[in-house]
Amino acid sequence: MSKLKKAIQDIHLSDVSQKGQRGRGRGEAGSGAEISLHPLAYLLVTFFYLLLVVSFSKYDLSGLLSMVLYLLILGIGREIRLREALRHTWPVLLLVSMVGIANPFVEREICWQWGEVGISYGIISMLTLMLKGIFCVMASYLLVMGTGMEGICLGLRSLHLPKELVAVVFLIYRYLIVLLKEAERMVLAYKLRAPGQKGIHFKVWGSFLGLLLLRSMDRAQTVYESMLLRGYQGEIRGREFRGSKGRSVAYVCLWAVALFFLRVVPVFELVGALLP
Amino acid sequence: MHMADALVAPAVAGTMYVCSGAAMGYSIKKVRLANEPKKIPVMGVMGAFVFASQMINFTIPGTGSSGHLCGGMMLSAILGPEAGFLTMFGVLLVQCLLFADGGLLALGCNVWNMAFYGCFLGAMVLWKLFMKKGMTRKKIIGASVAGCVLTLQLGAFSVALETLASGVTELPFGVFVAAMQPIHLAIGLVEGLITAAVLVFIYEARPELLWGSENFLAEEKREGRMSYKGTVGVLLAAAIVIGGLVSLAASSKPDGLEWSMERIAKTAELEAEGRAYEAAGKVQETTALLPDYGWKNSSSATGTSFSGILGGSLVIGLCVFACYLLRFFRGREKKE
Amino acid sequence: MIRIENLTFAYDNRIPVLHDLSLAVQEGEAVGLIGANGAGKSTLLKLLAGIGGDYQGKAQVCGMELCKKNLTAIRAKLGYVFQDSESQLFLSTVYEDVAFGPRNYGYTGEEADRRVMDALKKVHLEGLKDRQIYRMSGGEKKLASIATILSMKPDVMLLDEPSVALDPGNRRNLIHILNEIRETKIIASHDLDMIWDTCSRTVLLCGGRIVKDGSTEEILRDRKLLEDHGLELPLSLTGRG
Repeated sequence: MSKLKKAIQDIHLSDVSQKGQRGRGRGEAGSGAEISLHPLAYLLVTFFYLLLVVSFSKYDLSGLLSMVLYLLILGIGREIRLREALRHTWPVLLLVSMVGIANPFVEREICWQWGEVGISYGIISMLTLMLKGIFCVMASYLLVMGTGMEGICLGLRSLHLPKELVAVVFLIYRYLIVLLKEAERMVLAYKLRAPGQKGIHFKVWGSFLGLLLLRSMDRAQTVYESMLLRGYQGEIRGREFRGSKGRSVAYVCLWAVALFFLRVVPVFELVGALLP
Repeated sequence: MHMADALVAPAVAGTMYVCSGAAMGYSIKKVRLANEPKKIPVMGVMGAFVFASQMINFTIPGTGSSGHLCGGMMLSAILGPEAGFLTMFGVLLVQCLLFADGGLLALGCNVWNMAFYGCFLGAMVLWKLFMKKGMTRKKIIGASVAGCVLTLQLGAFSVALETLASGVTELPFGVFVAAMQPIHLAIGLVEGLITAAVLVFIYEARPELLWGSENFLAEEKREGRMSYKGTVGVLLAAAIVIGGLVSLAASSKPDGLEWSMERIAKTAELEAEGRAYEAAGKVQETTALLPDYGWKNSSSATGTSFSGILGGSLVIGLCVFACYLLRFFRGREKKE
Repeated sequence: MIRIENLTFAYDNRIPVLHDLSLAVQEGEAVGLIGANGAGKSTLLKLLAGIGGDYQGKAQVCGMELCKKNLTAIRAKLGYVFQDSESQLFLSTVYEDVAFGPRNYGYTGEEADRRVMDALKKVHLEGLKDRQIYRMSGGEKKLASIATILSMKPDVMLLDEPSVALDPGNRRNLIHILNEIRETKIIASHDLDMIWDTCSRTVLLCGGRIVKDGSTEEILRDRKLLEDHGLELPLSLTGRG
């Protein structure tokens, strides 16, 4: 089933890019998989970025456009393929356009004339909305590609989120791929014996998912036992951070200032005005 | 159903984060009180299960389309509402990070729209109500379908409210709601049936796994009063949130609904619009992060011009060049 | 190391799965636990690890009575390798998973790192330490799950069907590694060839009772005994293999 396959592929992808990250990290510091900046730094900057992007006025297209600089610098700097990130954005783009599609029809007043072509406020506000969608998804994507889910869990933990919650997020991530593959095998086995059917027939809805669920529960039991036998006491102690704290703080401060600057000062307009 | 980041204004995102955070705090407290370390791996694996099961297509008889399972109800029916809520949070977080379904900023909204209604209203109120006098096949089906429909209706309505409060669309609120609710009624029915099918299967195979099954087996009445209190609290919280959202909508767009209506009818008087602009401007000044509407004669809109685009491409070009230059030098350094 | 006397166990007060077992295992011994499906091998191993439930009779592990209050202390000295590696490895990378146990017992930084690397060296997986677990082959996963136990430096290792679903090469590799591990081992398996190669002593279970307890040499050559209990002579002894 394409959806299942795509999900599995997506997880593989995030992991491949991280491996590149690790490969470089290894030379610098001891063993294990670490990155030089604290994941919390990435998390905070991403969150701040999202806030700023969303806070742009719906007609401020050029101001919003300047926020692309963050994505470009991060993407190129960390050697993450931006085209792949763009591919990631299209479902959101679809959703956002569905919400914004009414704008051009409602707001027909012309904003600026380009020869014969007039651009209305509605079109600008729709474009702004779509751009916001793209930027937000890409920023989240860059975050995951940069730190990985384990990194994000470490970041959440250092934000003092409840340990139970972080443990659950962690386990979901770990068992996601296992269960996706199991579901894929089940669907394949079903399809091989039920050719020509598009999905799972309603008569077997219950037993199909129910069996998968029971098996998952049994697995949870074994996982719990295996955790107990290795001294689990309510907290999964994941990766330790061994990078530089000072650099992480500097990273956050620098980006906060730069992003705020981009938000407040219409850089693109100013540079454009300087040109003859 | 998943709100995207672009659709929420910072103030809305913040409000919903606070609401979901409160529900989260309550759930964590409850889960810790229950002190079942065994539940943590079950929550993790079940979260992954809900995820995987949502990727499987189930054919709806008579139509060519397909549906999937309703996570909140499903998880609560197995884990109980509090643990189910935490698990749903995990699912939504992983979903927004790995699959771009929803977003980090909109996470608060999504947790509320999907997890809160599903786990607390769907399971804590409806499921409990249905199972008050013991569990049967029919009751499970009834509770699942009713729960899913209710959850999705409330969720869809909240999505419409949050979008309105964020002021991203010109779509009149009425039209938006009229489009959202019937679609989600159909989805709710299908999701309810799938969820019911799974729960009935579990009921027949291993009933002890279902939430509350030990209650009706042991015939405990003590729980009833506790849940009554919980129910009232939940309803109160919901009322506050909905009220808060409505007032938020009103404050960020002083003449919200009528304004868009008038625009369609093209009968808006210039003077009135001018006043609206002033009012909006004032609100904006006081709360900088509220969505501002960049009214027509504001500088930001008219500034979007050729010079802006020209300047923009220049800056982007320089930036990309600088990045590649830096990378090139860093690469050489490493080789040496 | 392990001493059980008159141990009887039943799931949920139903028909007993283990009847009146008595067994003593000395330090450094490698014991093979054989028997047909449902003979009670896994149940016995789980009981010894304290995850089975309540039992009747006496059981001592590492000099401590097997009961609730000693469980934490016992588990610190005992390693259990599950049949399904996927359940055993619940973190994302090999390194993280192998470090899970040591970290829980309070080792951090250098010490944890040293223990992890030692364990990985013992199973020859140093090169795969940053590998994502779902990207590993079945054989690698099995070795990784053994490493997760070794990193805790256990005194006793319990292995449930370690060779199941391994190809001949990986199986041979596993046997080498098991022979290099000097700790006390109890290996439950149907793979009699592996038992032949790794264990000096064998215990044959049938229907929850110990049918025979003796040297591997003696038991695995006894065609009649094995066939009576749903097993066959190891291939290497039949002359066919």
